[in-house]
Amino acid sequence: MSLQYLKEAVRDGDTEKLIRYVRLHLGDGNEAAGRKEIDKAWIEALKLLLDVPPTDREFINDTLKEKDAATLAHLFFDLHFYFVKHSGAWIHDGTL
Amino acid sequence: MQRAIEGKGIPTVSLTVALDVTEQCKPPRALFVPFMMGHHFGVPFHRELQRRIIRAALDCLIEARHSGEIQTIPVTWAQARQEGNRIERDATTALKSKK
Amino acid sequence: MAHSNDTANEGRQLRPGLWATINERYPGSMITKDDFVPLARLQKPLSETRLSFVSSAGVQPVGTLPFDVAHPVGDYSFRRVPSTATPAGLEIHQIKYPTHGALKDLNVIFPIERLQELAAEGVIGSLTPSFFSFIGYNMDPERFERTLAADIADAVAADGADAVLLSPA
Repeated sequence: MSLQYLKEAVRDGDTEKLIRYVRLHLGDGNEAAGRKEIDKAWIEALKLLLDVPPTDREFINDTLKEKDAATLAHLFFDLHFYFVKHSGAWIHDGTL
Repeated sequence: MQRAIEGKGIPTVSLTVALDVTEQCKPPRALFVPFMMGHHFGVPFHRELQRRIIRAALDCLIEARHSGEIQTIPVTWAQARQEGNRIERDATTALKSKK
Repeated sequence: MAHSNDTANEGRQLRPGLWATINERYPGSMITKDDFVPLARLQKPLSETRLSFVSSAGVQPVGTLPFDVAHPVGDYSFRRVPSTATPAGLEIHQIKYPTHGALKDLNVIFPIERLQELAAEGVIGSLTPSFFSFIGYNMDPERFERTLAADIADAVAADGADAVLLSPA
């Protein structure tokens, strides 16, 4: 899947192609595995919050208010890998 | 929470638009209003209705005989909205005629 | 638009089955009690009573840390709203309930001006220095009772309330 392919998909509103790419990327070439990795990251994040530990909400709010969308999108990808690694078992840890 | 406050010896009354939820959590006193969520005190700019609801709630606080009583108020959402719309229209008209 | 006549709708809940719906989506989160709390009695006329107001509609003074609507278990903090505040100094961040009325006139969900008027007229004796605001998204009923409910009950009592009016979102 080339960058050209993805940009065309954005232009055409073809969301299926776009999410397939994300899953393949996160699943190291395996879409079904990628789906599971997405769920795993969310599960890890949920587990960390169930006991309502103290968190730095001001940092979170300031970050959301001050940083541009692209940085936040980049952070989103980084956070995915962070939580997947946190689970102890992952396919793609974010490095090449 | 209402129960916690009542437990400290401070009388309380709450408003609700969800009878089924209120019946489950059994607050000491409640006033049921047949309105939308987010509109427990009525409709915008309807000062008289908002005051009436507050006073009905406070009457309930004073007069309720038994813990868990849920009182209601003789108004419908349709009436409230109609009156509210009229109040807003009159206010807009008054504003226009001043210009 | 509903076509049923007014008297048929009088006293009828607009959204029936709300408890069942919420309990289905967030099982175990709805508070259910089997007993009734003994009533505390108001010992003085309303015109001498100091009244407080507690709301779970998430209304907060401008500039305070927004209530947390992202957290999966909810937000167990509260904000003090000075009872002398005006709607212009208050804001609502969370949008989990219909806010179109409140955005035009905050009093439909947080009747601060109406309460101020009633106190000024002498219908109510006085208002506590603070009102109390939280959000009703709390998935852990045990935590809710142990922390937020206890904290607000203490704060309300410390503010010298003789009676409290509460309203949800």
